[in-house]
Amino acid sequence: MKLKKAVALLVTAAMTMSIMAGCGSNGDSKTSADADKQSETQDASKEDSGEIKEFTAFFATPGSEINDDNEVQQIIAERVGAKCKETWLTGQTDKEAIGTMIAGGEYPDFIEGGSATPQLIDAGALVPLDDYLDQYPNIKALFSEQDWDKLRQSDGHIYFIPQFGTVKGRERVCTHNDEAFWIQTRVLEWAGYPKVETMDEYFDLIEAYNEANPTMEDGTTNIPYTILCEDWRYFCLENAPQFLDGYPNDGSCIVDPDELKVIDYNTTPTAKRYFQKLNEEYQKGIVDPESFTQTYDEYISKLSTGRVLGMIDQWWDFAYTAEDSIKSQGLDAQGCQYVPLPITIEKGMKNQWHNSGAVLNVSSGIAITTSCDDVEGALQFMNDLLDQEIHNLRFWGVEGVDYSVNENGEFVRSTEQRQQATDSAYKASHLCTYSYFPQYSGTSDDGINANKTDGQENEFFDGLSDSVKKCFEAYGAQTYVEMIGTTEAPGAWYPMWSYSNSLNTSTEGGTAWTLMGEIKHEYLPKVVMAADFESAWEEYMTAYDGCNPQAFLDEMQAELDRRMEEAAKYE
Amino acid sequence: MASLTRVKTKAKTNELKTRFTWKEVKRQKVLLFWAALIVAYGVVFYYAPLAGWLMGFQDYKPKDGLFGSAFIGLAKFQRLFSDATFLRVIRNTLAMGVINLISTFVMAILFAILLNEIKSKGGKKVVQTISYLPHFLSWIIVTGILHDALSTSGIINELLLKFHILDQPLNFFAHPKYFWPLVAFANVWKETGWNAIIYLAAITAIDPSLYEAASIDGAGRLAKIKYVTLPGIRPTIMITLLMNVGNVLNAGFEIQYLLGNGLVQSVSQTIDIYVLKWGISQGDYAMGTAAGIFKSLVSIVLIVIANQIAKHNGEERLF
Repeated sequence: MKLKKAVALLVTAAMTMSIMAGCGSNGDSKTSADADKQSETQDASKEDSGEIKEFTAFFATPGSEINDDNEVQQIIAERVGAKCKETWLTGQTDKEAIGTMIAGGEYPDFIEGGSATPQLIDAGALVPLDDYLDQYPNIKALFSEQDWDKLRQSDGHIYFIPQFGTVKGRERVCTHNDEAFWIQTRVLEWAGYPKVETMDEYFDLIEAYNEANPTMEDGTTNIPYTILCEDWRYFCLENAPQFLDGYPNDGSCIVDPDELKVIDYNTTPTAKRYFQKLNEEYQKGIVDPESFTQTYDEYISKLSTGRVLGMIDQWWDFAYTAEDSIKSQGLDAQGCQYVPLPITIEKGMKNQWHNSGAVLNVSSGIAITTSCDDVEGALQFMNDLLDQEIHNLRFWGVEGVDYSVNENGEFVRSTEQRQQATDSAYKASHLCTYSYFPQYSGTSDDGINANKTDGQENEFFDGLSDSVKKCFEAYGAQTYVEMIGTTEAPGAWYPMWSYSNSLNTSTEGGTAWTLMGEIKHEYLPKVVMAADFESAWEEYMTAYDGCNPQAFLDEMQAELDRRMEEAAKYE
Repeated sequence: MASLTRVKTKAKTNELKTRFTWKEVKRQKVLLFWAALIVAYGVVFYYAPLAGWLMGFQDYKPKDGLFGSAFIGLAKFQRLFSDATFLRVIRNTLAMGVINLISTFVMAILFAILLNEIKSKGGKKVVQTISYLPHFLSWIIVTGILHDALSTSGIINELLLKFHILDQPLNFFAHPKYFWPLVAFANVWKETGWNAIIYLAAITAIDPSLYEAASIDGAGRLAKIKYVTLPGIRPTIMITLLMNVGNVLNAGFEIQYLLGNGLVQSVSQTIDIYVLKWGISQGDYAMGTAAGIFKSLVSIVLIVIANQIAKHNGEERLF
């Protein structure tokens, strides 16, 4: 009997405890998690000499984790008294990762929600930052009062701080960190650096080159043109029509700058011509038959071999992986590096593949979650990371190790240092850019150096391989940007993708937008591969209309009007 | 496996029909103690979370939680069933579930019987070990291997070209018609060896004298398989079949998620992927829960039907 009682007691106790733990995900478990975190932090600070706070961060974007004993991270930690363990997205979309996190109710200290940021705000997971901002001058200085107001959500609070698009001093841009038709320098060199302005010329050139040189020097067959189509990265396939028509990267629609009207780029005559061209090239065997089934990793390893002559992509999507790998294998000598071309649908049109000036992303940024038990400390950490000295450590490295200063006060790097900085093992063990924390491009406080290495002109030129230099010279360009020209950002609404990115199925337009994405993922590859283009296009258009795109366009138009109204208040 | 042993103990207690007395309880106290723990485990981890089903009937907002969200009745279910994508997803799940069930089930039995016929003990062990190793690979690795082997420059295409079965490489992942067979093939490759273990065990339990008797009666190998081995493992086959029927809607998540792409999404998406895409990703947890409830209910119905059929035919059954 006694035993039975004891058992009953034990079981009831176990049950109630686990039930409470299960239900109290918003209350109980959090405090216990916090307690864990606190004790962890305490342990860590006991180990280190000073009082070093340890924060955690999750960024809903792919990235590479750095080692725990990373050298620059340690130096920064000693200077500012805090460090942050960063984790990144792997094998999921941002919405999936964040959605799962919200369902679990536990968050790291810092979070970048990507396109799922509105869900985080709805779930009450983020700490409103507006009351704190005035105490942190570096953070406050990131944006103008107008820009801070743009970041206010419908409840009037600011929840996140965009990390990018803040320019300090003179703007310095050498790379085209955006989308373009890229082509290997060997193709241009072989053809005697011709003027390539239209899509037809671009493909003619690739075809001609591939016919004359079907393989690389070591006998590997060339892949003339490939298209990355995996998940959210299918912009490499789908949004070119906006650029071909000479519009900038609003990303999800075209905005007519005179009428201020939203136009759908999926159904324009240019879109049809573009996909018809891809279809023709596919039938000719120019478009890689694996285009629509390859994963991002397969795509990058394909590019890294130097076999691919050309593609559409964003610079950041391949530069730090494939382009770096091409360089480190010495394939630059064969002309396997990529340069952008100013391509439009017709000759003589103005292209806007590149825009100058700061672009504020009002849809996502770094935020502090309700799981963070030291909001002030976290903000202080972000603030300290913006100090020029720390900023240099982040993006240049350690003086004397990663760069040196010449007699003019300019930062310079030797070839080895430059090589080292692209080496992934070195990046993990030594460099710590805190790349998804707020940062500046443009010019440093000293007025001489660029805030980031890729903006430093002398550094940029010295770092270029001979084949790229030769190519630039032939086109009379000095930088990637000059290869395709530049224009001012078109207007106060720009860019519209910062709105469409944050849509979800809670609105009619958002549902339409999600469905459109599904349909395009399925039908655009079909259209390109179809034996009969016209009927495949008809089929695609019917399916596309079935998504109710007008609801989406209406919401975009409303947002465009709202943004213009907001902007008018400051004029 | 756990549920299987539970089934067996249940069957045994039925047979014994011991009278319920305090003396008996005292005698069995250790057993009862452990049984209570298992019941508690079930209640806590299988039944308590069912409270989350409430979400499916709410306009669930993470901020308000389960207790603060407004009830909206069956609205989410109505939306679910008016969504053509969801209906297509049900079709895909059922189709892949049934194909997987039949192929892995048949292959495992076939494999166990064939393996049993191998005379060399060493050879048998080696084959068995190699065959069940893939079970321990995670899907991400299996799909990686598949992607490599079936890519246009992969080994399969190379062989097909060498033997002039194809003129140019075939991109297996670009055609919806190959997707279901691919999934079934991957499942068979991964699980056959593992699933065969239970049948092998059942075969060893068959009384050797039956085989001897069959030999004396002049039965050859095939006849022995037909008249001794198969009837001998029939109860095991029935039980595993019943349990697998309940799992038909768990046709998989990882493999379809990892092998799928835009071109084949109309045949590749399963209910689980739908829940991830439209429930979790879009923050519509209520919708995800509704889809989950639907899946569970269908599974229960399937298993009851299968069990009734088994009962009707006088076969081994679950309940």
